[in-house]
Amino acid sequence: MAIPEREEILVGDAAELVEGKFKIIKQGTLNIGVTRLRDGTIRAVRNRCPHKGAAICKGIIGGTWPPSAPGDLAYDREGEILVCPWHGFEYDLKTGDELYRKVPTRLRFYEVIERERKIYLLVARGAADTQDSDASAA
Amino acid sequence: MSVTSELERGTGSPDVATGIVDCDVHPLLKQGFASLYPYMPLAWRERFERKRAGQAAAGLIMRFAHPNGFIVREDASPRDGEFAGSDPHFLVSDLLDANDIGICALNSLQTGAMCAVLASADESLIIASAANDYYIEEWLPIDRRLRYAIVVPSQDPNASASEIRRVGKHSQICAVAVPPIAIALGNRYWWPIYEAAQELDLPIFLHVTGAEGIYAGAPMPAGGLPDTYIERYVTLSQAAEANLTSLIMNGIFERFPRLRVLFVEYGFVWPLPAMLRMDRLWRGLRHEVPWVKKSPIEYVAEHVWFTTQPIEEPADPRDLERIVKMIGVDNLCFSTDYPHWDNDMPMQSLRMLAPADRDKIMRQNARNVLRLS
Ligand code: FES
Repeated sequence: MAIPEREEILVGDAAELVEGKFKIIKQGTLNIGVTRLRDGTIRAVRNRCPHKGAAICKGIIGGTWPPSAPGDLAYDREGEILVCPWHGFEYDLKTGDELYRKVPTRLRFYEVIERERKIYLLVARGAADTQDSDASAA
Repeated sequence: MSVTSELERGTGSPDVATGIVDCDVHPLLKQGFASLYPYMPLAWRERFERKRAGQAAAGLIMRFAHPNGFIVREDASPRDGEFAGSDPHFLVSDLLDANDIGICALNSLQTGAMCAVLASADESLIIASAANDYYIEEWLPIDRRLRYAIVVPSQDPNASASEIRRVGKHSQICAVAVPPIAIALGNRYWWPIYEAAQELDLPIFLHVTGAEGIYAGAPMPAGGLPDTYIERYVTLSQAAEANLTSLIMNGIFERFPRLRVLFVEYGFVWPLPAMLRMDRLWRGLRHEVPWVKKSPIEYVAEHVWFTTQPIEEPADPRDLERIVKMIGVDNLCFSTDYPHWDNDMPMQSLRMLAPADRDKIMRQNARNVLRLS
């Protein structure tokens, strides 16, 4: 199978990427937030909410209060959940799925590579030049 | 056999097992408040007689009086000078026999209003028990098709639970009518009632008592005091919307997983915006109420039913069909509201629906809600 041609976009030094914050990379039509998850994984997310297109990488990275018995409050998954700054939908930064939804919408992730302590995004060649028309990455 | 032909034939002896189920019929005490005296301890009877309680039990303030004078149908009077709904024998022939109704749920608003706010909390306990005994003894033996929603003194949830356990096992008791007061239905105040109702497999009936917007302690209409009967009538579903939201957001159906709630006589168009709005907001705000474990729309589908009367009548009847589908064909239950003026009678109701859907609403769904033994 032919591997699609891809290009690398420099994000920056690996050490720059910290938990709880996105570094935003804009190039052409691409707008991508890159962050480090608690377990060290580097996560690159399209900076556009699948719901109504908010710049989701400006939202809160935190935990979630998972379903619990009436009156009980639990807290879980600190640093792994992204909350949209517009309508507050919660997204799982591990899987990209909207939380607790039977048919979830999804974040779009991009591949990253690390080479000599630098992080690069891997995108299809020419991706930054193409008009990005779809309203949802779901 | 098609629903229509069966309906139009008018069998004269509708079957309890297959006839139409009418989820909202309003009986009246034959002699008014005095009908309850034989069912009260002497001391209470003397107290009520001395204070002329029968006169205090009257209804609406002037602005909310029906512009035609009565809310009951004059053509449903058993005999001249008798109030519609006060004679069970007449009701059986006029409503059940004539309309192929196999089961009707009797829902006493008259005592509901007394229990909610007209009487004191102590008095309401006596009134609720007396009214329940009155209907159980004077109405239910007359016909198996007559079923009764016991009224509870909602000013005292623990006493309400005791009353449910006292009379709730009777085989013709089908529900628990909880007269609304100004405490939202998701509040923990109500837990003892839900616990008892669930224990006895009885659904909760919610229905206006007529005290809304009139007496302190009753639910108030949102936005301010209406001026007229029509204005008040239109806005009565506000309280239903608030209570549906309260039940779901407080996790009542997680806490009482077998609880069933029937919203009676609020109509069935109003839940739609509430359901859509709850679902949409739940996606972003659910962490405030994490005990709401799934979309509010799913809780409605599993735990909540709505009676059809008073049916809205859009110019294009297909619009109503669409709304029925959006609310859930399985969650609507037919009701007449006999003998009130704004009744919906079976022959005319919901004719735009496919026969199978109409059959669910007229006959089947209520059998999943009411306790029918
Ligand atoms: S745009 Fe993100 S939740 Fe609506």
